[in-house]
Amino acid sequence: MSAAVAEGRLVRRIRADRRRPGAIARRRTVLYEIVGAVTWCYGGFLLLVDPARHVEVRLVMLLLTLGGERRVAAPFDDTFLVFGPDGATMLAVLTPSCSALASLLAIGALAVFLLRRRPHALPGLGAAALWVVGANQARLIASLLAGVWYGDGALILFHDWVGALFNFVYTLIGLLILITITMHSAERAEQDRAGRHTANRPDAWARPGLGYRDDGLAAAARPGKYRLISFVHRFLVPAPISRRLGARRERNRVDYRLGHLGPQARANQIAALAAKGLGVHTATLLAVATHETDPVVLDALAAAVAARQWEPVTRPQVTALRLWARAWLMRAPEGSTGDRADGHTVAVTGAGGPAGVAVIRALRAAGHRVLALDASPDAVGLRLASAGEVLPRADEPGYGARLVEIVTTHRPDALVCTVAEEYAALEPLTGTLAGLGCRTWLPDPAASAACLDKVAFAAALHAAGVPHPQTTADPARAAELPGPWIVKPAHGRGSRDVVAVDTAAALAEAMGRVPGAIAQTRLAGREFTADVLVGRDGAMLTCVPRWRDETKAGISVRGTTFDSTAVTSVVAATVRAVGLTGPANVQGFVADAAPLSVNPDAAVTVTVVEVNPRFSGGLPLTLAAGADVVGTYLAGILDPAADLPRLSFDAGVRMARHFSEVYVGADGGAVADPLRLAGTA
Amino acid sequence: MSAGGAAAQGRVERHWVALAVYALVLLAAFALIGFDLTLGIAAGVLNVVFLAFFFRHLAFAVSAARWAEADLEAAGVGLESYAPPVAVLVACKNEELVVDGMVSALLGLDYPGDRLTIVVVDDASEDGTAARLDAWAASDPRLRVLHRAPGAGGGKSGALNDALAGVDAEIVVVFDADHEPARNVLRRLVRHFRDPFVGAVMGRCVVRNGADSSLAGTIFVDYLSGYLVNEYGRQALFELPAYGGANCAVRVSTLRALGGWNPDTVTEDTDLTLRVLLAGGRVRYDPTAVDFEEAVHSTRRFWKQRHRWALGHQKCLRDYWRPVLRSRHLGLVDKIETVMFLWVYHVPVLCGLGLGLTLLRAFGVGGQAVVGLLPLSALLFAGPFAELAVGLVVGRVERRAAWQLVAFLPAFGLSILTATHAYLDGMIGKRLSWAKTARSGSVGTAAEAAPQRPATFARRTAATRPAPKVAA
Repeated sequence: MSAAVAEGRLVRRIRADRRRPGAIARRRTVLYEIVGAVTWCYGGFLLLVDPARHVEVRLVMLLLTLGGERRVAAPFDDTFLVFGPDGATMLAVLTPSCSALASLLAIGALAVFLLRRRPHALPGLGAAALWVVGANQARLIASLLAGVWYGDGALILFHDWVGALFNFVYTLIGLLILITITMHSAERAEQDRAGRHTANRPDAWARPGLGYRDDGLAAAARPGKYRLISFVHRFLVPAPISRRLGARRERNRVDYRLGHLGPQARANQIAALAAKGLGVHTATLLAVATHETDPVVLDALAAAVAARQWEPVTRPQVTALRLWARAWLMRAPEGSTGDRADGHTVAVTGAGGPAGVAVIRALRAAGHRVLALDASPDAVGLRLASAGEVLPRADEPGYGARLVEIVTTHRPDALVCTVAEEYAALEPLTGTLAGLGCRTWLPDPAASAACLDKVAFAAALHAAGVPHPQTTADPARAAELPGPWIVKPAHGRGSRDVVAVDTAAALAEAMGRVPGAIAQTRLAGREFTADVLVGRDGAMLTCVPRWRDETKAGISVRGTTFDSTAVTSVVAATVRAVGLTGPANVQGFVADAAPLSVNPDAAVTVTVVEVNPRFSGGLPLTLAAGADVVGTYLAGILDPAADLPRLSFDAGVRMARHFSEVYVGADGGAVADPLRLAGTA
Repeated sequence: MSAGGAAAQGRVERHWVALAVYALVLLAAFALIGFDLTLGIAAGVLNVVFLAFFFRHLAFAVSAARWAEADLEAAGVGLESYAPPVAVLVACKNEELVVDGMVSALLGLDYPGDRLTIVVVDDASEDGTAARLDAWAASDPRLRVLHRAPGAGGGKSGALNDALAGVDAEIVVVFDADHEPARNVLRRLVRHFRDPFVGAVMGRCVVRNGADSSLAGTIFVDYLSGYLVNEYGRQALFELPAYGGANCAVRVSTLRALGGWNPDTVTEDTDLTLRVLLAGGRVRYDPTAVDFEEAVHSTRRFWKQRHRWALGHQKCLRDYWRPVLRSRHLGLVDKIETVMFLWVYHVPVLCGLGLGLTLLRAFGVGGQAVVGLLPLSALLFAGPFAELAVGLVVGRVERRAAWQLVAFLPAFGLSILTATHAYLDGMIGKRLSWAKTARSGSVGTAAEAAPQRPATFARRTAATRPAPKVAA
């Protein structure tokens, strides 16, 4: 305890130290730079002013001679002899303030001490220096000619007043020339001159706050076909130096080359670059291997390198690339045959439930490799997926460790959870899973907790003004609710322990028998379920309501999609009230459903009973109606910044379910389906 | 910075005595040492001041050129693991053009929903701001709207203090109505409060409507230099960045201990910066915590805005220079830098004086200054241009923007006029008032962001089904 107190005091004393050694060290560094800049300017001026004046006098004389002007001579190194219009002679001394040296040194200091991190500052300084020297020559010549043509008064007036203004203007222009050349070209810049973001990179690649993302902005300018730098590298610079410079440039530019693209486009571009030969864009490929975090892109790079093992190793960097690819491929298992080449490996939990089975089938149908997970080794989804693993229940010890172990082995790109009760156990694992390349998209823990606790859910809907049946968990008050009633567990799932009661006595008995019971007024009307997908920003991407025409054990076995503005509105209010994102299914009743058959905008009475923050067992009907909620959800998992589409559906699509079988032999191997139609897979 | 309300009921300060003392000292100097020598000495003193500020500019530019770009790229540490309860506060008055975009951006912030409260104060708006806010509040329970009665007083500070009274959070984050924060801004701001000495954290504001006018484009470049170079340099070299009034976070315990925002100033941000420092706390600056704001794009609005900034900042100098010099929490270098920071809106006044003396000298009036014209031109042009150039390069702006720097020549002249006008207003005791900064709402998500009743997602054909209704 005393050690902790002493440590606390020490920390406070260090923090309260007014000297702040870090700032002192930085100030010292900057002080050296400023001393250097002052020395550069002041020392440079003292050392060079006389030679500079002499050179400028000679240059002026050379230009005047070339121009045929013979009425100016330079009898001394720093003095002009000017013959005026009336034959009078004047001596004009080129003083230190007349020289361009001060401007040159100031611009040079800016280039050397502030902008030197950009190599472009060197040509910028050269161009600015040429401009400043040339402009000062023009100023001097104009002053001398004023003296030649109009006499000494004109010379002095022009030099002292017009010339001073001219000096300011050309120095400013010289400064702007330096800055212009040092800055980024349009295709390399991240924002245009109005501050609009032009690089259009995903968040992971972009530097924060460099430009406002304006969707209406045209794409950044493209470089011209012919470029001076290409000529210089091709014909002037020795090949080894050019190659070395090119490699350095590529390393620095990898974000320019690829960063503005989405993950799939980046992967395609890398495949295209590698196809030109590993020795051509080695630096870019190595930079991708070093910095890229998206497994899709890394998979593409590793595959491209693996495909070019025949290529002679002309450079050590190619060896490094191969070693990286080898390590990457050893970490990630290959996809099973039959899965789409560009598909992903997706882990699906709850593979034994109807929602899990529907998700597995949807993902397989889309060409993805599916790793099915379930607590039961007999879960049917384990047989329907590309691979299966048994995972303890989320409330059992070892769930997290086993899941990490499975993900480490199979390296799925994404995990889809179809058991809402698993969210709480998954939440702390998301960082670890992401580190293994497995992305997740879980709802906010508070939102999923509110959905799983029917009392909290009722309170949330009540607070938000969403229609919901009167609910109580207090057995003494249950009879005060209008009957008939439904009694069910506050934390139940899958219609387990749900009891419909009509009398007060039966209600009291049920409240005592059902564990953690709540009582609700039983609703009349037509029961519906709406499959919903909500974007990460809270915007509803789709809402597909369907009538639960027939249910067995809580699962819809016959259903029909329908269209209703009122239902959609109440469903939207419900998911907003609990703050859900991702997939969900909202269950409720429409009291007077008949008008909806003729008018989807009919003002019907809608009441929501519960929300499951996951895909529903009736998911196949939603998919059949045209709303690909599974594929869209997967896209949202893989790219959290993706702009997910709004999904529409066809109303009136009907579903009739039947049983299907999967057979497993004693050795665990598949047994052929005796009822399979000939010619089907 | 933005104004959140109408005229504040602040006390009026007059400094006639100080002005009279200045005049008497000047007259005495004329009488004792002569007119020319007095002006020569004055010019020499000004030159020393100008050189000091020039080197300050240069130091900030060097520090930003060396480190700022790497800082922008540095990986965030522990962004997810530290999420104390946060309340986002926004004061609005007549902001119907921009309020939808702002609320939409706030509701999209990446922060745990159970630890985030959003409070928007409608400061007796006379346009549709209140109705729009109520519509948002009805559609999203995370948003709380507080309506102030007309004449409640206190301007933005009063509105924020009212909001503060009703929140239960560790950190409050303040935005202005025209701001649209990046999604991750809260996580990036609050991470610095792990350090118990940190009282406030400033983020970086970026202009989003630079294309609206040449003035807005100039302000865009000015902000680059201001945030990526000047503010950055203050943090890098002195660890004394300023809290800026929007896109900034304050520890609630610190704020309550200080008595909330000061309603007697029109720059409550600078005022709070000073009070945090004098209380022994620290202000931090995070260039990666970004939000996008709207720049004014008419000279008249620009004048009003900068005049208010100058007026408030100059008042802060008068209020705090003595406490700063006496503070036991600040070292000698800290005190020098803080006083120089407080002086920044007086320096343009001195520049005007220096230009006047130079003109007089050109006509043969006044003595030769010790250093001559060089320091003034260095301060007026070389220092700011060094900062602007580094800002453009660090901000990775396309090279055509360099020629926008020409627009800073008249801007410097304008800053001399606004600061001088504000100085005279402050000295003769003009009432401080919240000059509302008018918005255009020309760029942003406002138009698309208005809350809408969801239509259905079913595919409908007009011939067979009624058209979906989309209500505002």
